[in-house]
Amino acid sequence: MSFTLDRVGLIHPGGNAPEQRALRAVSIDAARGERLAIIGPSGAGKTSLLRILASAIRPTEGRVSVLGQNPWQLTGSQLKRLRSRIGFVRQSPPLPPRQRAITAVIAGRLGEWPWWKSALSLIYPVDIAGPRDELARLDLADRLFDRCDRLSGGQLQRVGVARVLYQRPDLLLADEPISALDPALADLTVSELHSEAESRGATLVASLHAVDVALRRFPRVIGLKAGEVIFDLPPAKVSDAVLSDLYASETVMLPPREPRPSDLPADGCVPADLPGGGRPDGAVPPRAI
Amino acid sequence: MSTATFAERRAALGLCVHCWLTVLLLAVLVWTSFAYLSVDLSSLFSIESGSSMARFILRFFPPDLGGEFLRRIARGTIETLAISALGTLLAAGAGVLLALPAAGRFGAALKVATRFLLNFLRSVPELVWAALMVLAAGLGPFAGTLALALHTSGVLGRLFAESLENAPPEPARALTLGGAAPALAFAYATLPLITPQLVAYSLYRWEMNIRMATVLGFVGAGGLGQMLYYELSLLHEPQACSIILAMLALVVLVDAASAWIRRRQMRSGG
Repeated sequence: MSFTLDRVGLIHPGGNAPEQRALRAVSIDAARGERLAIIGPSGAGKTSLLRILASAIRPTEGRVSVLGQNPWQLTGSQLKRLRSRIGFVRQSPPLPPRQRAITAVIAGRLGEWPWWKSALSLIYPVDIAGPRDELARLDLADRLFDRCDRLSGGQLQRVGVARVLYQRPDLLLADEPISALDPALADLTVSELHSEAESRGATLVASLHAVDVALRRFPRVIGLKAGEVIFDLPPAKVSDAVLSDLYASETVMLPPREPRPSDLPADGCVPADLPGGGRPDGAVPPRAI
Repeated sequence: MSTATFAERRAALGLCVHCWLTVLLLAVLVWTSFAYLSVDLSSLFSIESGSSMARFILRFFPPDLGGEFLRRIARGTIETLAISALGTLLAAGAGVLLALPAAGRFGAALKVATRFLLNFLRSVPELVWAALMVLAAGLGPFAGTLALALHTSGVLGRLFAESLENAPPEPARALTLGGAAPALAFAYATLPLITPQLVAYSLYRWEMNIRMATVLGFVGAGGLGQMLYYELSLLHEPQACSIILAMLALVVLVDAASAWIRRRQMRSGG
């Protein structure tokens, strides 16, 4: 079992404001190597759920087990070891503006490397080929030595993904990992997350706003609304009725779900199905669009 | 057309009453200060004191520009620069070390204790530190370096601690969540965020310390200041004049250099 959430609830202490319930009685099990997408409207609790799995916040109710351990019953060094096996891609990766992309990627292995290797890499990167390969998978090989403040939002987001790929975690969490990417790069990034999970038997959990990507690429889709799991289904069983129920609100209407021809790239540059297995071994994938 | 109400008139007047009271208070303060110090304003502007001042100033000219003396001035200038550079460098190192506990990284007790130490270092002026260090370490540049290092440690430690406290915690938090040790997360995530500020603060203090180092010599802490004090006490006015000109040139050069560095930094800071 990769992780178990048993009737997990989370209440944000409100301070002066009334306290807010972020999650209510969430129960999800995932076996090793499973790949899940979490969809749902903004504010549904997707990020809170991922942060609980990342052991960043402690749930106020229920039981959590991640990679066979309850993070909140571990000693400091055990927790550190557990966390080095959990990779967390953030929607906007918190990278120092003046740091070079290679250093930002190398930081993914700080939990694994002995301290002298990490310290040395601040002056001269101990591993150059590794970060270069991970960036190349995301079509960023030419940005290896660029500073993060020279990168666009979409490039920065992919550097954040590359850091977690370089970390080689057993549990790969991704919070809106493609929100700043164009459709072609979004597809490439999701493919690489999948192939990474597949090749090492890691579990992948990604929250997505792009419902079509979730339904097309993930074998299991969880719908989250107002902190509760509304459905937990294979994509084939996620009907339009289920979706409009998930996103329905009093004020906002759901746009038609079928992709119109104008939404698709005109020249068909999107790789229909990228090779799922191994990494391209340093070979730069063809530039998408 | 409506006329102003009584309340409005009073509000308008109220502001002015405050202004006039302030002006009056200042005038009384100035007058009592003169009276207390028994400074005779009229003697400042009398012809007699004016001519004696002119005679005094004329004794400084022409400045001594002999080759041997210019070489001594050059040595003094280099000594002043070295004192300020070494003092600032030592202070920057100590500042980083003291900023960590002062920003609360090692608990509340150490935070209070370090803040107190920094306040103490900072509140004693450089000249007082220099006078003390001359007693402790003897006359010469070593005392000046120590004095600058002590005072500047207090200033830079405080500024660095504030940079640390204002740095966003998310980058380091992301790394500790990935299993990184706190020290490494600091080096990889927090340090690159605050380095530009640390460098800018240090350069600024160095600029101030060069000016300060020219004066520190007056209490015997080396550099151009000590030369100036020596020549003045022997009534060698032309030599003193050359030294004052050298000080002026040094300060102008430092100002220009720091302006140039700041411009370059801004351009590369993107």
